[in-house]
Amino acid sequence: MFRSRVATLGVAALVLAACGGNGTATQEKKTELTLYNDKGAWTKYFDEMGALSKQRIGLGMKPTGYTDSAQYQAFIKASFRTNVKPDLFTWQTGGMLEEIVKQKQVADTTAVWQEAIKAGDLSQDLAPYYTIGGKQYCVPMNVAYWGMFYNKKLFDQHDLTPPQTWDELIKVADTLKRNGVKAFYHTSVLFSFVWFEQLMAGTDPDLYDRLSTGKAKYTDPGVVQVMERWKSMIDAGYFINPGDKTDPGDVLKNGKAAMVSFGTWFNTSMTQRDMKAGTDYGFFVIPNVNAALPKTSMIFESGPLCSLTKAADPEASMKYLKWWTSAEAQEKWATSRGDVSANPKVAIQDEALGAVTKDAGSGTYRLVNRYFEATPPPVLTAALDGFGKFVTEPGSYKEVLETIQKAADEYWSTHQ
Amino acid sequence: MTRSPVLGRFRHGYVAPAAILVAVLLYAPFVWTAYLSLTRYDGLEPPAWVGLDNFVKLLGDPALLTSVRNTLIWVAGTMVLPVGLGLLVAVLSYDLRGGVWYRVPFMLPYALSGAGLAMVWSPVLSHDGIANLLLGVDTAFLQEAPQNTLAMLLVWTWQQLGVNTLLFVVGLQSIPKEPIEAARLDGASGWRLFRHVIWPLMRPLTAVVVGLALVASLKTFDIVWVLTQGGPGRNSETLAVTMYKETFVASEYGYGSAVAVLLTVVTGLASYLYLKRQVR
Repeated sequence: MFRSRVATLGVAALVLAACGGNGTATQEKKTELTLYNDKGAWTKYFDEMGALSKQRIGLGMKPTGYTDSAQYQAFIKASFRTNVKPDLFTWQTGGMLEEIVKQKQVADTTAVWQEAIKAGDLSQDLAPYYTIGGKQYCVPMNVAYWGMFYNKKLFDQHDLTPPQTWDELIKVADTLKRNGVKAFYHTSVLFSFVWFEQLMAGTDPDLYDRLSTGKAKYTDPGVVQVMERWKSMIDAGYFINPGDKTDPGDVLKNGKAAMVSFGTWFNTSMTQRDMKAGTDYGFFVIPNVNAALPKTSMIFESGPLCSLTKAADPEASMKYLKWWTSAEAQEKWATSRGDVSANPKVAIQDEALGAVTKDAGSGTYRLVNRYFEATPPPVLTAALDGFGKFVTEPGSYKEVLETIQKAADEYWSTHQ
Repeated sequence: MTRSPVLGRFRHGYVAPAAILVAVLLYAPFVWTAYLSLTRYDGLEPPAWVGLDNFVKLLGDPALLTSVRNTLIWVAGTMVLPVGLGLLVAVLSYDLRGGVWYRVPFMLPYALSGAGLAMVWSPVLSHDGIANLLLGVDTAFLQEAPQNTLAMLLVWTWQQLGVNTLLFVVGLQSIPKEPIEAARLDGASGWRLFRHVIWPLMRPLTAVVVGLALVASLKTFDIVWVLTQGGPGRNSETLAVTMYKETFVASEYGYGSAVAVLLTVVTGLASYLYLKRQVR
């Protein structure tokens, strides 16, 4: 009887040991890293980077791409509590980064930043987006500046040129409308926030910043006025139907709308559709609504590439992040996607994007953090729903703002 | 029958693997979800106990009312369309020569998953879609409430009609011929024959079909998520979509768990009341 109990305990101990992971195991030396990301459509480009890194620093990289952002975030958060940890993963700046840094999950990359800034591989201007409590976390996987992509053939056909002022932009929209062409793209799902952030940043960027930190209310008169302007533009018939499911890349290509506002990463959609910059499409910076503002507000986003404090091989992960910021890696990354780079040394082939990148780096614009990163998740969820409702029922803007403010009140009551 | 002494001694051992699996994969998450519903939890910081706060908030949430309204439309619509029409097609095609071939087209869509179904119908129902083109109208099928829920119900019917028809046909085939022949000899036919003879004899099978449809409609998720993500705004959300959005999109795991508990209670209660009535 005693022997059988000992045997049972022995089997149980073996099973538990098998399930228990490698808590006391010696540190693993990796030659290939896993990179989890929420950019499933970019797998091809990540694969190319993996092949190059294997060649250059002896560290391969295998991407696992999610296409559903919510599922991806839930997976990453869950992985913090298990032994199934990614070596590298993409994330978001703003509150989302702060959240996981506070949990001491993210590896400190201050040394990588200092070295890269010194070598001219990263810009000091970018550091605040990655700085929490005086230290840097993660490195920029990508940067993007937001502006207006326009169908050049449609513009040429109606003798239009990229506008320099808000009034000129409205004149362009009016001309297109008179000729039976919808001026702008918008949607009721996910990117429903685009016009809100653009109009807010171009009208009162300080108010926009205060909104994202809970120091202003969505029901404040300045915000209400922005919504009224947005409504007047919808009522004027400038926008396509928000329920149109056509991919925005196709919308621009087939001229369903003459202009689509997106980040510079949208350039990849153009190149994938065999559209030529300068011939088929162009890009311009959206002018401020409020002409009295000292600088043109430009929406900016940067997506971080992070590693964990408890990574399987922290040394290898850090080596990879360091390589990622180098001119060689960024040249490949930007060129393959036809996008801009976080490394100022990288020459941008696309003329319009190259000019924007140069100007943004020289302080010509007031960079405004994209709404997606600037807004805490529970408020963002309410806002995306709200703007989705607004674009289909423009008369509901006051109710929408009140609903978003309710979510904001709740969040900021426990997070100030 | 005498019980085998060997089997008797180890009978718990035989059941144990399945019992452990069920406990670990079904009951433990259920208990954990019930616990989370009483906490505030963002998925990172440890859950903070808030008692019934999430449920109080839930009851005062206007979005929940919309979810409940849409879920009820799904339940009522499922009873009328996939179940009701399934019965109609089964009865009308049952006696027809070659009736099986009439039923085949209804069966094929059942092979699609809910998400696949929604993907197929998305280009049909979107504003620039095929439905508007063919009908020569300019209708926002998926934008305005409650017509977006009704449009999705029609898609659901397109898929579910076949399997309900098949089940009802099986029910019709299982009815003994004698009572029907006796009723016919007594002069019953058409609606009277169906209402007083066939329908009562099919009752056990109808209970199963309606019960399954009831549970499926209460937890409607995939088709809504892919076609509208519960929007625009939140006007096409069902309880299952609200649960997903609150939990995984807004990272409000505690509040999302409260919706999950509510959904479980509603589904359990509805199933219990329905089945109790059927077996009475």
